[in-house]
Amino acid sequence: MKKLNIIEMKYLKITIAVFFLIQVTSCDEILDKDPVSTFSADGFYQTESDCEAAVYGIYDAVQAAFGTNFAYWGEGRADNVVTEQTGEAMYLMDNNMTVSLASGDWTNLYTIISRANYAIKYIPGIFDEDDANGNILIGQAKALRALAYFYLVRVWGDVPLVTEPYTSVDQDIFVSRTDQEEVFDQMEEDLAFAAEYCEDKYNSDEDQIMITQGGANALLTQVYMWRGEYEKALETSELVLNNSLYSLVTTMADWSDMFISGYSDESIFEIAYDETDQKNGLRTLYAVGSYSIYVPSEEFKASYEDGDERIPYVYDTNLAEPKAIWKFLGKGVSDEVADFYDCNIVLIRLADIMLLRAEALVHVGGSANISEALNLLNQIRERAGLSAFATEADAEAMYGDLESAILHERSIELCYEGHRWFDLVRTEKAISTMNPINGLSDEGNLVWPINSDIINGNPNIVQNAYYQ
Amino acid sequence: MLFIMRLAFSICLFACCMSFATGTFSQNQRLSINQKNSSIESIMRTIEDKTDYYFMYSALTVDVKQTVDIQATNKSVAEILDDLFKNTNITWKINGRLIALSANGESTVVSQQPRNISGKVTDSSGTPLPGVTVVVKGTSVGVITDVNGGYSLPNIPDNATLVFSFVGMKAQEIAVSGKSVINVTLREEIVGIDEVVAIGYGVQKKRDITGAITSVNSTMIEGTPVKDVMSVLQGRASGVQVVSNSGAPGDGITVTVRGYSTLNSGNSPLYVIDGVPVESNSLSQLNGWEEHGLNPLADINPQDIESIEVLKDGASTSIYGSRAANGVILITTKRGKSGQGKVSVNMQAGVSTITRFLSVLNARQYRDIITDAYENYNDYIGYKYYKNYDYNYNLIDSLNPLNTGDVDWQDVMYRTAWQKELNVSFSGGSADAKYAISSSYLDQDGIFIASNYKRITSRVNADFKLNPKVNVGYSVSYAHSKNNRINAGGTGNNSLVQSILVRPPTYSLTYPDGSSLNYLNGKRNPVALAKEVTHLNTTNRIIGNQYMEWEVLKGLKFRANLNVDYISMKEDEFYPTTVDYREGYNSGSVRAINNLTWANEDYLSYDKTFKEDHHFTALAGFSMQEWKKEITGLDGLYFVSDNITTLNSASTISQKDDYVNTTVEHSMVSFFGRLGYNYKGKYMLQANMRADGSSRFGKENRFGYFPSVSGAWRFTDEPFAEGITSILNDGKLRLSWGQTGNEAIGDYTSQGEFSVGSNYVDYSAASPTVMPNNALTWETTTQYDLGVDLSFLKDRFVFNADFYIKETTDLLFDVPIPETTGFNYITQNVGDIRNKGCEFALTSHNLDRKFKWTTSFNISFNRNKVVSLPEDLLTNGYMENGAYHILQEGRPIGVFYGYKFLGVFSRDEDNVNEVRFGSASGAIFKGGDPIWDDLKADNIIDDNDRQIIGDAQPEFTGGFNNDFSYKNFTLNVFFQFVYGNDIYSVLNGQRNWVYAYNNTSTDALNRWREQGDVTNYPRPIRNDPLHSGYYYRVSDRWIEDGSYLRLKNVSLAYNVPRKITEKLKISNLKAYVTGQNLITWTHYTGYDPEVSSYSGTKIGVDEGSYPQSRTIIFGVNIDF
Repeated sequence: MKKLNIIEMKYLKITIAVFFLIQVTSCDEILDKDPVSTFSADGFYQTESDCEAAVYGIYDAVQAAFGTNFAYWGEGRADNVVTEQTGEAMYLMDNNMTVSLASGDWTNLYTIISRANYAIKYIPGIFDEDDANGNILIGQAKALRALAYFYLVRVWGDVPLVTEPYTSVDQDIFVSRTDQEEVFDQMEEDLAFAAEYCEDKYNSDEDQIMITQGGANALLTQVYMWRGEYEKALETSELVLNNSLYSLVTTMADWSDMFISGYSDESIFEIAYDETDQKNGLRTLYAVGSYSIYVPSEEFKASYEDGDERIPYVYDTNLAEPKAIWKFLGKGVSDEVADFYDCNIVLIRLADIMLLRAEALVHVGGSANISEALNLLNQIRERAGLSAFATEADAEAMYGDLESAILHERSIELCYEGHRWFDLVRTEKAISTMNPINGLSDEGNLVWPINSDIINGNPNIVQNAYYQ
Repeated sequence: MLFIMRLAFSICLFACCMSFATGTFSQNQRLSINQKNSSIESIMRTIEDKTDYYFMYSALTVDVKQTVDIQATNKSVAEILDDLFKNTNITWKINGRLIALSANGESTVVSQQPRNISGKVTDSSGTPLPGVTVVVKGTSVGVITDVNGGYSLPNIPDNATLVFSFVGMKAQEIAVSGKSVINVTLREEIVGIDEVVAIGYGVQKKRDITGAITSVNSTMIEGTPVKDVMSVLQGRASGVQVVSNSGAPGDGITVTVRGYSTLNSGNSPLYVIDGVPVESNSLSQLNGWEEHGLNPLADINPQDIESIEVLKDGASTSIYGSRAANGVILITTKRGKSGQGKVSVNMQAGVSTITRFLSVLNARQYRDIITDAYENYNDYIGYKYYKNYDYNYNLIDSLNPLNTGDVDWQDVMYRTAWQKELNVSFSGGSADAKYAISSSYLDQDGIFIASNYKRITSRVNADFKLNPKVNVGYSVSYAHSKNNRINAGGTGNNSLVQSILVRPPTYSLTYPDGSSLNYLNGKRNPVALAKEVTHLNTTNRIIGNQYMEWEVLKGLKFRANLNVDYISMKEDEFYPTTVDYREGYNSGSVRAINNLTWANEDYLSYDKTFKEDHHFTALAGFSMQEWKKEITGLDGLYFVSDNITTLNSASTISQKDDYVNTTVEHSMVSFFGRLGYNYKGKYMLQANMRADGSSRFGKENRFGYFPSVSGAWRFTDEPFAEGITSILNDGKLRLSWGQTGNEAIGDYTSQGEFSVGSNYVDYSAASPTVMPNNALTWETTTQYDLGVDLSFLKDRFVFNADFYIKETTDLLFDVPIPETTGFNYITQNVGDIRNKGCEFALTSHNLDRKFKWTTSFNISFNRNKVVSLPEDLLTNGYMENGAYHILQEGRPIGVFYGYKFLGVFSRDEDNVNEVRFGSASGAIFKGGDPIWDDLKADNIIDDNDRQIIGDAQPEFTGGFNNDFSYKNFTLNVFFQFVYGNDIYSVLNGQRNWVYAYNNTSTDALNRWREQGDVTNYPRPIRNDPLHSGYYYRVSDRWIEDGSYLRLKNVSLAYNVPRKITEKLKISNLKAYVTGQNLITWTHYTGYDPEVSSYSGTKIGVDEGSYPQSRTIIFGVNIDF
């Protein structure tokens, strides 16, 4: 065989060296690529700080779910707002409930639930059993899951109850709707856990924007009231009222500031937003000049008692037909100012729980309870510059009965905060109130239709009967 | 001198080898010769008599007088020649019919003799051709041209004829007739059947191709003023559909080879430039409201390209495995050739204008329609909730100083745009070192004010022979581009194309005091948006390939490649306070993208012919490739000043979530091989195999295997075809089967992802964003192809046809899953798509005398069908695909889904069924409202009434090219056509919809105004509560026929005669004028039927992209 010359030998060596180099790096070494800027799904829950980040991730989903919809769900179908903007707001107002409604889509609520399910499943593996810090995190996850379910059952009735995270395609992804009583039981169990194990106070702003024991009890109070479990509501509301974290703000200026600046002593749970990438829908809903979606209804304006000091903080009294709602964004709000996105949305506050408790007291009855109910109601009235009801008869004289007086007070005090529609449904006044306005007449119409995208995506979801 | 002669000799040898290898002549003819003690010369005469061969030699060096004995019985010519010269110092080579003789030890075949006839041989571009054989017809007298293309022949009789021949060129015969100087321009062989084309990891003779490959060469590119590689292919390559997403310089282009074969966005072919697989997806992160990005292949200067090959069938593409399912486009750039250095300069300047304007209402008509819309709204609302819905009287108040104009904003915003381009290239080299160096500069204004594109490119291709067996070389290109974009497309308030069409004609641009009016009733100032807003994209890109090729043994070569594609892109966006309605509000963004791909490929190739007739090729290789993309960016608000637009001046950093800094990586390891066998050029077989391992899939499913086989049969070489070869001179049948793959999913999709960055105010959060699926694996495309190549009448007509079926299974698809899981989708291997089609190409030399006319025509038909989709999800029988399309089994990708518009109710009482809007409690449609097809016949118009309303895929596409030449003039006329596709014109929807204060098209003059009006244009209602317009309701009102025939290119060139150029001391001078997009015949009423606002499978939507332009370019080409 011909001998290779020297240059050829050199190239042969290089070639062999190159092949050798390739051989030492095995394929797997080259082909194993872990994410650089994210975690791989099974590589995430490793440390305690991962668990914290995961719980903040649930709050992030809460921001998205409620930013605009808290008003569509809680105010859009009720009597305190009107709109001249076609679209979602007008469909709700007209009770023209179609399967295309954006507020009929529950996706964002299930994102909260999914993230909470992950946290509830994986956090225990990182902390020692019964570790207080671990339970604080799990408690928040459970409370937020309950918050999401609370809205789900109130808006749609029966909903799928999902309590396990999805980590594989082999899981049952086409779930059916669960009886809402079962969902409520899960909620109560979750909230009871949160009321026991969450932080009682964080000694910081976190007290308002994260779930505390007080927050869990307050939410539990709302749940019991919705289910008509008044005795239980009295127990949990008492815990809230006795919680030293919470007290009513005293002046009207502070009352207004409670929504604009947030973090007040009266606030129990508010969803935090900022002006950049975590924006809410308040500006579009209530304040963009001629484009504002909602303005106060005539009925609402007329329902104020004379001398109510809250009025100028809620809307522009100089205009016969106010073009904006000032409550969240501040008196005299103008859309020439750039940002209103950083207001927090106050979801639960002390006045709400006090009035719910007053309502529960009236239901349970007894003179001691009635007088406590009057006392609670009067605290709210007097702060607004209104005269106190000395006796139940005073309230009856003005509103027919004490319960109605409390409900009216809720309508005024908590206006536009997303309570009105649920109060009407809860107290079975929705049809009588809304029928003259938009013809609402059927019990089955009280829930929302399920958005067609959801029905189309899951053959096991059956539409609410009224909308079939 | 010796050097030059050696060079000429080696070229000659090369040429000889080339034609020897092709076996074009009857070398196999056998003869018997029996001559003793004869002179070689006389034996040569005998051979010339008995065969068609003739000899060529120089009497000065080759001694043909010596006597030899020869005794040969039934031997081939080669055997006889071997025998004849075995004891002499003479060596021989066969070149076609020519047997060239040379003396051993001498470096030249024939020397030149400085007498009588002389001349120069050049190619069509005027470049001297060395090594051309010049023979006196019927004799063995001849010479070979020198490096300057010069030759001279002694003692040539007057009645002789000279034959000039050169490989790859058409031979020419010229009668001497008393001339003493004969200059010849050789033209390239009309049909380059022996042309070599690039295939994966190598080249192959076009004649021996067994797969479906379309080739586009540099001459086609040179005649067009295109600025990017993709546009070159439009209408020129059958089976390839090219759609510009917009007319903006440097903007994205969608290329589809043989239909849509995948549902994910990965429908674009793989681009390989000089062996480097390059990034072809837009990396741009800031596209405003546009749905598509920039075209990364705009970084390649088309003038550098030697040829483009489109590999279409499975057999051709499977060597590229997992990235080849959508076809492979191989781009080969120009390399240096040995010979005298050549300098080429090309200068162009041109103007572009918009191809058409769209109609808008004038001020008076506008005030009318706005008043109508308000009145209709108040009528509809009935003051339900407010006592008094007051409207903006400003709008109709012609005395309001902000409202006194009467402007068509298109006149203000579109302009005549200039462009200039300069290309300089150097090429040349010696036998051992060859180079091609080029640079270019392009400065192109867009037809929209303030848009501009500048590009500098530079390239070095060099090849070195280190020793006879080792070659090394590299190709490096650098591009720098600056694209000053405007936000043209999309539907937002900042999107200019749409917003200037709907902007009230009455609006002023300034306040009465002359200051700029930035915002009026929800409309921004478009001039300020174009001129003061920054959308600047700056790209730097280096593509490099370095190779070493070593001929280990004869026929066995080893090659190592190192490839790099590096893109560094920076994008700046800034909205100054002057364009915002909010006090002191300005905002800006910055993104920096670094994208690096590198690959190492090592392969062995083997090429051997056994017993003359059996030709084997083999290839075996390994490659390793890695991709890394890093994005860094911030958004900011409240900049200290509009003059400092960098983010340090922002007082609030607003975007912290997604782009602060992220990196993704992906790698692939591959093994590939090929075996080929070719018997006498008659039977050809080829088999390919590639195994790809990708980091994107789980350990168990990492490797995909992509085999293919193909064969071809040249039936005209069979004995039975002898009778017809005078008509059908070449005929070949091809058949192939092959598999390719697709891995176009996220880099970490199979692992699942927890993302960080979605925070809760200041608390860092993490959340599950991608659901894991370890079972994910390759998407596989299987393709069958049957092809036929026919050449008639000595290649005068060349016809190619291909029929194919292409089926993609295990589609990688983001399958929507119920939101109760917490995820919107999970990526799975599901479903099946089939493309069937045929492609025809015909080239014909209609006239080939002084006046030459060549025509090529191609047409492609493709039928696409979604065969299956995941069953669980088809509760409605379809899946949504964006806002306008659906995917449905049995239908093609790209069908539009929506409501059918049947007309307009003339009177309230015409709605006899009391059809309602939306639900049983919805409003009843009245006179002036649209009549929608109530598919479900429930008297309610809702989602259930939607149906298929159009199909965006064309029935056929193609091109028709004509080249004429007469004396020094050449003319190219190129038509391109698309037929049978629908366009969903969102733009027309927008401009026929009075939402707030929008202006409309003049169609609105036919609107319904009062009871009894019969029209098909509904009454406008402010805010469109009944969804008569486009926005809430996808309907066939906005579907139009998108067919068109376009005079795409007309190019007239004049080659300045040699007499003049010689005086100017240049070798070639060409002046030309080219017009592009000159005429378009279409029924489409938008700016242009060639439009696609979305990339991927959401095809045929016109959201108002940057319009296409008509361009006229003047240019000069000078070669030194």
